[in-house]
Amino acid sequence: MLIKNGRIHDGLGAVSEADLRLADGLIQQIGPGLTALEGEEVFDAAGMEILPGFVQAISNWGVNGGIQEIRPSSNDNDEKSNPIMPELDAFYAFNGRAATYQQLGAFGLTACGVTPTDNNLFGGTIAAFTIEGLNPYKMCLKRDVGMMASVTPNLKKAYGSRQVAPMTRMWIFANFADQLRKAAAYKCEEDKPVDEKLAALKRVVEGELPLFIACDSLIAIERVREITDAYPQLKLVLVNGFGLTGDEDWIVEKKIPLVVRTGTSLFDKSSLDLDLSAIVKLADKGALVAMSGSNGFGLNPREDLLWNGAEMMKLLHDSERVLQMITSAPAEVLGIADQTGSIREGLRADLVIWSANPMETYRAHIVRTYLGGQVIYQKGDEMKCM
Amino acid sequence: MYVIKNGLLYTMDQQGVIQADLRIENGKITGIGKNLPIEGAHVIDAAGKIVTPGFVDPHSHIGGFGGNGEQDLNESTNPLTPEMDAYHGIDPNSTDFDYAIRQGITTSCLAPGSANVVGGWVFAYKSAGKDRVVKHPVALKGAMGINPKGVYSKKNQTPMTRMGIAHVMRGYLRKVKEYMDKKEAAAGDPEKMPAYDLGLEHGIPVLKKEIPMKIHSYMHDMMTVLEIAKEFDIYVTLDHANGSSDFYEELQDPHVKGVIFGPTSNSLFGGEGGKLDYWCLKGLEERGVPAAVMTDGPVSVQNMLIFEMGEAVRWGMDPVKALGMVTCTSAKIIGVEDRVGSLTVGKDADVLIWTKLPTEYTDAILETVLIDGEVVFQKEA
Repeated sequence: MLIKNGRIHDGLGAVSEADLRLADGLIQQIGPGLTALEGEEVFDAAGMEILPGFVQAISNWGVNGGIQEIRPSSNDNDEKSNPIMPELDAFYAFNGRAATYQQLGAFGLTACGVTPTDNNLFGGTIAAFTIEGLNPYKMCLKRDVGMMASVTPNLKKAYGSRQVAPMTRMWIFANFADQLRKAAAYKCEEDKPVDEKLAALKRVVEGELPLFIACDSLIAIERVREITDAYPQLKLVLVNGFGLTGDEDWIVEKKIPLVVRTGTSLFDKSSLDLDLSAIVKLADKGALVAMSGSNGFGLNPREDLLWNGAEMMKLLHDSERVLQMITSAPAEVLGIADQTGSIREGLRADLVIWSANPMETYRAHIVRTYLGGQVIYQKGDEMKCM
Repeated sequence: MYVIKNGLLYTMDQQGVIQADLRIENGKITGIGKNLPIEGAHVIDAAGKIVTPGFVDPHSHIGGFGGNGEQDLNESTNPLTPEMDAYHGIDPNSTDFDYAIRQGITTSCLAPGSANVVGGWVFAYKSAGKDRVVKHPVALKGAMGINPKGVYSKKNQTPMTRMGIAHVMRGYLRKVKEYMDKKEAAAGDPEKMPAYDLGLEHGIPVLKKEIPMKIHSYMHDMMTVLEIAKEFDIYVTLDHANGSSDFYEELQDPHVKGVIFGPTSNSLFGGEGGKLDYWCLKGLEERGVPAAVMTDGPVSVQNMLIFEMGEAVRWGMDPVKALGMVTCTSAKIIGVEDRVGSLTVGKDADVLIWTKLPTEYTDAILETVLIDGEVVFQKEA
């Protein structure tokens, strides 16, 4: 497959007029004036913009919605039976057909992180998937991406309303500190059964699994900082960004990535404390920022990253920088930047051909979406998801 | 007095898009033209800027749902509460209105929620100002589908099904008809007048076709609404209306005052949330069916209105026509076009000043908002 004459936005900040050769599901060659091999299919992308597929760092694609269970029951990434469940794995929540049903390729998305909800203090490990297919093992880009944790009021809603702990911030932070302390001290002894919770958290404390922690406010972020400071190897990823002011230079110095989520509802008052100009200020100082769509209840809009991009454009007016925040940056946060999230030779051919630059104009529509070198969506296909 | 100088005016009426000055006096637009005199006026320089009418959100509940989960617009205790009035459920001081202003929403059509088959009166309200009621009532709220089903199933009460909903709605309208007929037959004779019934009174302007029923309806529920609308010869607006592209022919019906689409801050669900067809907006517009978009605030954030217009453009709609979905067309659908929805001499001075056309450019920034000729928002330089 040869895609000729398009303008390539590589997702890392560069733009070039070049041709793209796709082979074996990968981007094999990028360069000007490539000539078609015998029998090679050629697509003329003259006047079109080629972007990496978007990557949503935190999502519940493939978990719920659309394909209904026979009986109502809790969502598969929402194990609200115990707030401390670090031994769980979001991989098992993912249903390929449910992700495919949403036809996310029609909205420019090609990869996503799938996480436990933020209803648990420690929810389990995160996995990254492509957005179309049937077999989760074939769709999976990475397991053990990180550990999902939360110190938001969602815990209090999930448990306190049932008259069980946690009912307070006190419980949340006391147990956050205590679990990390125990995990750091934990040694697996041969003659004793493994403590799966502490074994999982030990990997967090030792920096093997980054700790993705959702916070609802600046004070929560500060408390998390105080508690995790004791573990120099622990790798933090701050989720949400609510309450940040832009003056938190320690986030930049410690190279802590930000996974920013936006509000979809005025019901969600803490998301209204998100100040995107503060996020830009931190990004300007060098923080890695991944925009990750809404902090919504239920399922997120499929257009989320496009809309996050539009909001960021109002502040940055720099479409290449904004594009990084929804492609290569989330790929880096998920640890899949060597596979997808940018247009480079050797990476997966996860890319989208647009009629215009969607970071800049709403007139931009998708001409074709490639996932692993296969066309999974093209203009006119919009009803396939029905 | 203000004069907004030399902006590119998207008037949203027959004047079209013009480079002109706009004069505001006593809360109204009093002049549009080149080189209007500026003596005695505050001048707002809009050279290089886009000037549009304030947005009219045709379906919203802002100010009616508190942060602590209070639902002052859903009296979920009886599937028929036509006697309710959204006017009494709104907190005028809610910060929701501030968020609305910052997204350019100057008028919202505030409705009871969808818990009940008939929910009460709907009114149109400004986001700021002294005399904020634009029109009261503008409609009677109704709801099909999952909301009333969901509420009353839990209580083991009718309606638990779509069958039940159609039955309850039809029963109400029949009672209004009887009540109205009795009142007319009484011809003012107090002896013959039926006992006063506020809930039935609220239905009379619907049957007289003075206001529409504003009905939460998705997909095939819209066809049930159409049948009822024809049977009682009433106007309806079809609100939410996902799946409209399946029913283009049917929706070209004189009983349909308009289709109010959204909010779209969802992925695909099962049931009535199973179709999300942005392209229906262009399709409806081309077929002469008035179509608009909504925030459904506070269910979705107030910038949703701009994103929805943007998505309509992405799916083929012209950006100026998309702008109409939250100005001239949305105002007409809810019946307040005599006051708001266009930059026309004589109308309320609800005016937005932008850096770029917001339905086309993602980085268009709203700089100034005027409501009734007063600046209620000014972006910091």
